[in-house]
Amino acid sequence: MAYEIKEEKGKDGRKVYRIDRDHLVELMNDLKKEGYDHLTLISAVDFRDRIEVVYHLEKSSDNFSMLVVKTETKDNHMPSVASLWESANWDEREQYDMMGVIFDGHPDLRRILLPEGWNGYPLRKDYDMSKVQYVNMDEEGNDYVSFDPGDGW
Amino acid sequence: MKTGDAGFITTTLDKAMEWSRSNSIWPLTFGLACCAIEMMATQASRLDISRFGSEVFRNSPRQSDLMIVSGTVTKKMAPRLRRLYDEMPYPKYVIAMGVCVIQGGPYNQGYSVVLGVDRVVPVDVYVPGCPPTPEALTNGIILLQKKIRNEADR
Repeated sequence: MAYEIKEEKGKDGRKVYRIDRDHLVELMNDLKKEGYDHLTLISAVDFRDRIEVVYHLEKSSDNFSMLVVKTETKDNHMPSVASLWESANWDEREQYDMMGVIFDGHPDLRRILLPEGWNGYPLRKDYDMSKVQYVNMDEEGNDYVSFDPGDGW
Repeated sequence: MKTGDAGFITTTLDKAMEWSRSNSIWPLTFGLACCAIEMMATQASRLDISRFGSEVFRNSPRQSDLMIVSGTVTKKMAPRLRRLYDEMPYPKYVIAMGVCVIQGGPYNQGYSVVLGVDRVVPVDVYVPGCPPTPEALTNGIILLQKKIRNEADR
């Protein structure tokens, strides 16, 4: 193996792998070959100076035993794993939407929950709550966002 | 005692209209969040609101008189809610069910929730609670009926 895994113990004794960002796809490839065929979720944690991205993997051949893979980024960029698990497509879009993690190589990186044109990433710690944003719908049914309270709700 | 004589009562047309209108309020099937579970319980057999003439939940806004906004209204949902309200025929009424709908509730400090559905549509009856019990919603519907019956006097 060309990469180095730091293994930690989770709170309830589950396996936690920590890997640097450059070797994430390599590790994920190997894990999928090992039998981890289900990506349960992708989440992200904001530590202000860095963003930690957490992947939960499950192995259906081994009673859905779980493995947590943690990695972190300082410039908001991450490699995409959407080519390995189809579910990563929407999970990565959600993290892009809420945390602003940009997944390089993602086939269709758009906002998934918030309307297009929303300013900022709401789950970031530096999100500006003082600027209220309003959403409205045009005749075609497309959402748009404005800072004007008279235009939208 | 049935005598065969046709009895009669006198009333104004307005009063008769209000009476019939208030006893057949058809709500729109419109559940947004957890309050919708209580709305379903209100409609189901145990706390049956058909006793008050509101049994037919219509799936089309064009056939309904009442919109029970049951659950958190997000900013993305608000334009859709407004469009559904605009599609309802007059006379139309709105019940704001639950504290999220009234002023945002636990999401009041959040970024994504409309702080009160009365910013989007005019509200007739507010039913507070998180969620309100089915009895509270039934009470809200009775209040709305009283309001409709006194419309000509206002």
